[in-house]
Amino acid sequence: MSDPTIQIRSLSELHLDDIVRIVEKTRHSYQPDLWEDRVTYYLRRDPESSVVAEVDGRVVGFMLGDVRAGEFGIEEPSGWIEVIGVDPGFAGRGVGRALADAMLARYRERGVRQVRTMVDAGMPEVERFFKQVGFEPDSLRPFVRRLD
Amino acid sequence: MARVTTSELPKRFHDAVLKWRETFLPDYDFLLENWERYFPRDPKFRLCAYREGGMPCTIECGDELGRDKYQRACEMRPEAAQHLAGAIRAQASTEFGSIQQHQLTLARAQDEEEQAMVLRMMAEELRHGYQMLSLLEADDWKPITGQSSEQMVEEILSMKTGSHVLGAFNVDFESFVDNIVFCALIDRVGKYQLAMQKVSAYAPMAESMPQMLREEAFHLATGVVPLRRWVVKAAAGSPMITMEVIQKHLNKWVPRALEMFGDERGGGTNVKFGLKPMKNSEAQDQYWREIGKVVRDLNLRYLRARLPQLDAGQAELTLDRLESERGVVEGVDARDLLRLPHRDYFRRRGVPAFRMVGEDGGAWTDVEGYLGHLVKTLPDGYRATRDFQDYVTNLRAVARGEKTPEEAQKFMPQLRRVGGVCPCSRAVRWVADEHVELPDGGAVHGG
Repeated sequence: MSDPTIQIRSLSELHLDDIVRIVEKTRHSYQPDLWEDRVTYYLRRDPESSVVAEVDGRVVGFMLGDVRAGEFGIEEPSGWIEVIGVDPGFAGRGVGRALADAMLARYRERGVRQVRTMVDAGMPEVERFFKQVGFEPDSLRPFVRRLD
Repeated sequence: MARVTTSELPKRFHDAVLKWRETFLPDYDFLLENWERYFPRDPKFRLCAYREGGMPCTIECGDELGRDKYQRACEMRPEAAQHLAGAIRAQASTEFGSIQQHQLTLARAQDEEEQAMVLRMMAEELRHGYQMLSLLEADDWKPITGQSSEQMVEEILSMKTGSHVLGAFNVDFESFVDNIVFCALIDRVGKYQLAMQKVSAYAPMAESMPQMLREEAFHLATGVVPLRRWVVKAAAGSPMITMEVIQKHLNKWVPRALEMFGDERGGGTNVKFGLKPMKNSEAQDQYWREIGKVVRDLNLRYLRARLPQLDAGQAELTLDRLESERGVVEGVDARDLLRLPHRDYFRRRGVPAFRMVGEDGGAWTDVEGYLGHLVKTLPDGYRATRDFQDYVTNLRAVARGEKTPEEAQKFMPQLRRVGGVCPCSRAVRWVADEHVELPDGGAVHGG
């Protein structure tokens, strides 16, 4: 169960500083330009899919993604979860689950039948989180070729 | 699943919009030809009307709460239908009007990406205007307004800067700073209006709002993201942009934005008729808090650029100190930061109209002294505009006792003849301001 004090809202440009702050706490890196570009990307493509979580009016988590089709041979529109961030001070409060529940509900309402994400194998806690909210391994596997 | 349908206006109306576009949005073809370059993977823009399915079908506020929403304007109470027609006309006017303003200075952008964002936003505003025209075309408004749909469309497409319904759309842009600050402040009022109209008792209006709101989210980013980058440039001492320049543009647009909500004493009738869920002052209060956050975030971005050794928490504490002590903290002077002008500053509509209140809230008694203060706190280029001249003329008349503030409001913007610019335009029309009912039975004119 999610904490009832957690309020979910659609992403807006007002959340930019909050997202930059949360990422700075979790990744120890201040990158406002990067997040301005990314937030603008989601706002212009699909502003209703991405969500933020608030507790007492303060943004404590965010989840960014959109609905796309025609990529990686997947013709059916798929919901994607591409970035998640939770303020470490609010870890264990169900913020991530509340964000995932809201985003999946929005995708479901739009007729999306599959939601996808990719998780770095070096981040087992993220993998654990996605399994807890119902994700399972998929046949689509990432490949990389280094060019240096 | 939410169902979205799209449609085009009948050819005659559609062609009139295309002709209008050729005149006022000449870079439209460039935008579409370069869409993939600037907005890769984004669905391509299409000029059409959207209608959202699956929305509430009963009235969501007011006297008729719970009753089925109206599909035809003529089924509504006449007074409610007149308010609705006024709202559609005003909304359409703002959409077309903003394109005319943006076009004036679009070419002056210093950054190609920012220019492309504004151009896309202009195309989407055109679609919003088209959406409103689709409401006018699809219903019979003659029994309500005395004008046919064709006449109403013709009137809207004939408006120019100076003859639009709301004051903010009659102010010329002087630089690309106007384009950006306008998106951050005036489009934000648009977001409020669209969100309120999403509950409209007139179903076609409510169903028009969701797609417009989706697009509006990008328009706000088109304003806020460049501003965030400009304050960093200002912190680095760029000769291209300064905090003072941004502040003067906030001073120019915040008063107009506040006035777009209508007279602070009004709006109750819209709530009663189920057309909007909030009175003017309630919506204006929420907006005021929201732009307060925009300004605070810009100051934080500036502060982090000036003092890169600070982390997020330390920057917030430093900003708190600067705001409360108004002095110098760690080499940063509080006067270097942005601030909202006082809510009563430079107002020409609503409760504070023609009161001489300074940017900092101080009261002025001497009209020429106040005008000197305005000249000092507004962008230099704005001083030479017709809009400012009209304000000065009316303020002096109020100060001399020749006009009451209520009378002076009626002359902002001045009524003037507008020439036809659309191929279906055969007439020259007078454009009058909206009439706002006050709770005490009185009335003023206001947007």
